[in-house]
Amino acid sequence: MKTHQSNSNHAPKSDHLDDSELKMPLYSGPIVAATLSALLGLFTLVVTHHVSRLTKGLDQMIHSYGYWMPGSTGTGPDGSIGNYSGKETLALIVWGVAWLLFHYLWRKQDFSLRALTPLFIGTLIFLMLGLFHPIIDPVVLFIAGLFGYAAS
Amino acid sequence: MDHPAIDAHQLTKFLIRFQAICALVLLLMVSGLDFFFPTQYALKAAVHGISAISALVVGTFITHRAYFLLRGARTNYKSLRKWTAAATLLNFLGAVSGNWIYMRYRGQDGPRDWILKNVPDFHNVLMEFKEFVSLFPFPLMVVATFTLFYYKDHIHLRHDMKQFIAIIMMTSWFFLMLGFVSGLILAKLRFV
Repeated sequence: MKTHQSNSNHAPKSDHLDDSELKMPLYSGPIVAATLSALLGLFTLVVTHHVSRLTKGLDQMIHSYGYWMPGSTGTGPDGSIGNYSGKETLALIVWGVAWLLFHYLWRKQDFSLRALTPLFIGTLIFLMLGLFHPIIDPVVLFIAGLFGYAAS
Repeated sequence: MDHPAIDAHQLTKFLIRFQAICALVLLLMVSGLDFFFPTQYALKAAVHGISAISALVVGTFITHRAYFLLRGARTNYKSLRKWTAAATLLNFLGAVSGNWIYMRYRGQDGPRDWILKNVPDFHNVLMEFKEFVSLFPFPLMVVATFTLFYYKDHIHLRHDMKQFIAIIMMTSWFFLMLGFVSGLILAKLRFV
C-alpha cells in the first residue's frame, strides 16, 4: 500500500492554493493512522461482544473494564449499562493507543488512499456482518470450539 | 407591460432555508414530544431522540458537502470543518445518551424484558446489531474532523484525500441511518 515519500503526484493545481504555499509535503500517513485505528477500535467492539457471550467468566472480565463508567452496574427498573460499558472501554483503549502509535510511526509516510478505500469499506462491511447474529454465530461458535469454549 | 419577478436567487435561498427549518422542527418533534410522554424516563428518551435526530440531520447535510469533495470542486473548508466538528459532537451526544437510555432498556420490566418475552428476535438480532452499529458513526466522523483540521485548507491539494474523507462521511451517514431506523423500530415496539 505504501507508495512514495512525496506528494508531487497527488497535487492538482488549485486556484487558491498551490504547492508553493506548503512548507511541508502533505503526507497521507496521518489519515491512514486515524482510519486504521478507528477500524481496530470497532473490531475490538465486535470481538469483545462475541467473547462476552461465550462464558460467564469472560462476560464478567469484559464488564470489569467498564466499572469506571457511571451506571455500569445496577439492578431494578433503572437498570445498568452492563458489560456494554466494558466493550466500549476496551474499544476506546485500543482505538486511542493504536492511533497514537500509528500516527507517530506514519506521520511522515505517504500511502495510497486509493488502495485503502476498498480495504476500509470491506472491513466495515465485515464488521457490520460480524454483528448480525444469524450470520456470524455459527462462525463464532466454530472458532470458540477450536479454543475449547462452548457458548453458555 | 413589465412584470417584475422576485429575485430568483433570493427566493431560492429563502425557500431552501425555510424547507430545511420546517423539516428540522418537525423531525425534532418526533422525539421532542417524548418530554410529555407518561413515563418517568421521558427525559432520557427525549434527550437521546433529539441528539440522534440532530446527528442524522447534520450527518445528512455533511454528505451533501461530501459530493463537492468527491468531485474535487472548491468548497468552503472553514465551514466544512465547523459542520464536521458539529456532527462529531452530536454523534458523541447520541452515543452517551444512548448509554443513558440503554440502562432503562435493560432495567427490570423494561423494553428488553418485554421484547424477549414477546418477540425475542427483535432483541437477539435487531437490538444486538443496533447497539454496536450505532457506535460506528462517531469514530468515523472523528477521523473526518481530525483530517480536515490537521491538513486545513491544504487538503485541497490532494484530491485523493478529499475523496477518501468524502467516503468516510458517507459511510458514517450509512451507519447513522442504520442505527436510527433500528432504534425507531425498537422504540415503536416498546417504549421505555
